Amino acid sequence: MNPLKTTWHHIRRSPFQSLIATIVMILSFFFISTFAIINSGLSSVLSYFETKPEITLFLKDGLDKPTVENIQKELSSYSGIKEITFISKEKALTIYKEQNKDNPLLTEMVTASILPASFEITVSEPQILEEIYQNYSTKTNVIDEIIYQKDIIKSLLDWTSATRKIGIAIVLIISLISFLTIITIIGMKITNRKDEIKTSRLLGASNFYVKKPFLIEGVIYGLVGSILGFFFSFIFVLISQKSINSFFQPVVFIDINTNFYILLLVAEIFIGTVLGFTASWIGVKRYIKY
Amino acid sequence: MKIVFDKVNKNFGIVNALKNISFEIDQGEFVFLIGNSGAGKSTILKLILNQLKPTSGKILLGDIDLSQGNKEDVNQTRRKIGVVFQDYQLIVDKTIEENIALILDIVNYPKEKIQSRIDQVIKEVNLGTRRFLFPSQLAGGELQRAALARALAIEPEVILADEPTGNLDPENSWNLVKLLKEINQKNNTTIIMTTHNNDIIESMGKKVIKLNEGEII
Repeated sequence: MNPLKTTWHHIRRSPFQSLIATIVMILSFFFISTFAIINSGLSSVLSYFETKPEITLFLKDGLDKPTVENIQKELSSYSGIKEITFISKEKALTIYKEQNKDNPLLTEMVTASILPASFEITVSEPQILEEIYQNYSTKTNVIDEIIYQKDIIKSLLDWTSATRKIGIAIVLIISLISFLTIITIIGMKITNRKDEIKTSRLLGASNFYVKKPFLIEGVIYGLVGSILGFFFSFIFVLISQKSINSFFQPVVFIDINTNFYILLLVAEIFIGTVLGFTASWIGVKRYIKY
Repeated sequence: MKIVFDKVNKNFGIVNALKNISFEIDQGEFVFLIGNSGAGKSTILKLILNQLKPTSGKILLGDIDLSQGNKEDVNQTRRKIGVVFQDYQLIVDKTIEENIALILDIVNYPKEKIQSRIDQVIKEVNLGTRRFLFPSQLAGGELQRAALARALAIEPEVILADEPTGNLDPENSWNLVKLLKEINQKNNTTIIMTTHNNDIIESMGKKVIKLNEGEII
């Protein structure tokens, strides 16, 4: 008798237990997939800000050319400056249009005159950022606003780290629950079929022969759970991609990168198979003692 | 496969179920194990099947010493023994045909021959269309024949039949015993049968091992 046929027979004979095991596995992998996608999005947000200049000085409107050149000269005199880029109003408009090219409503009414010119500064010695910030925050006659990227990155790093820790904890707890659920359900199925197992053993069945269908059953729960969990998570991502990306603009939080998703699916199938097999193996070891 | 019991004792706590039992059964013999309830008949069958371990003494099945044998030896030995359990022990959620297919699979019977072997034994025990039914849908005599069909399917060297006529009417009892006799003569299969039915024992004229309170008398 084909062990797969016997496994299918076991699943059909206690469909609700099998359904619970499958649903718990699907939920686990739904959370795992979603967490992996959120994590990837957070990395995109971080890398976006990390590649941005470390401090940006927005200039007051109406400054004449010599004043602007003076500011640039003064900035250049700081030791430890890596790069200073002047963004004119026209360039700012080009950047703004590029960032909002998918949303014509946001670009229609905007002209170069309403956007501020700015200096984007990157440094090789981070300690001078504070000095620049302190110096220019008092020059309100020429400086309109200062964006000090260090704060943003630090706060982003804190948020990302907290989100990752919470995410990992949730994934671990859910995986543990699904692991224990499979052990329990396989144990219940073994108990339900203990007479059959006992008879098979008396007829000469080896230990592995009676265990095999239960091990396959665990692997099936892992496989089905990982594939469907991934599938539902992917559907969820596809549906919410537009609104999430628009919230995080200009960062592309959810990027449908085929390689990433294939890799995620393969990894989840592997984890699901190992999880299902290990849980059923423990269940079988614990409950089949005759 | 020769079966040898050499000074076998079996205790269940303070109860001595078997006391210093010794006997030999040659391949192809038909042996009745008789005695009152609790005399030790079923214990002997369970010891042969290695369902129980002897407290002391030696049990040989062919070349294998069951008291020393490893798990694989035990499995291999069991695959040469057809058993008709007192309570049938058919698997309730499998049809009769599936029950027979299961044991053929356990003994690694060639896959392509399984269906024809099932057809053959079903015909031999005259179960016909009952093969597609579940044990709960069969009457006592049919269940007994189904259990026998399962035991016969593997072409065993030994058949252990524990009170196979216990739940049958006289006619079905005789039919079953005739069938066992036929198998014994045709295939040289060793048959060890426990029974309380004196008519059957007397009319068959076969070897009898009589037990009383765990001793051979």
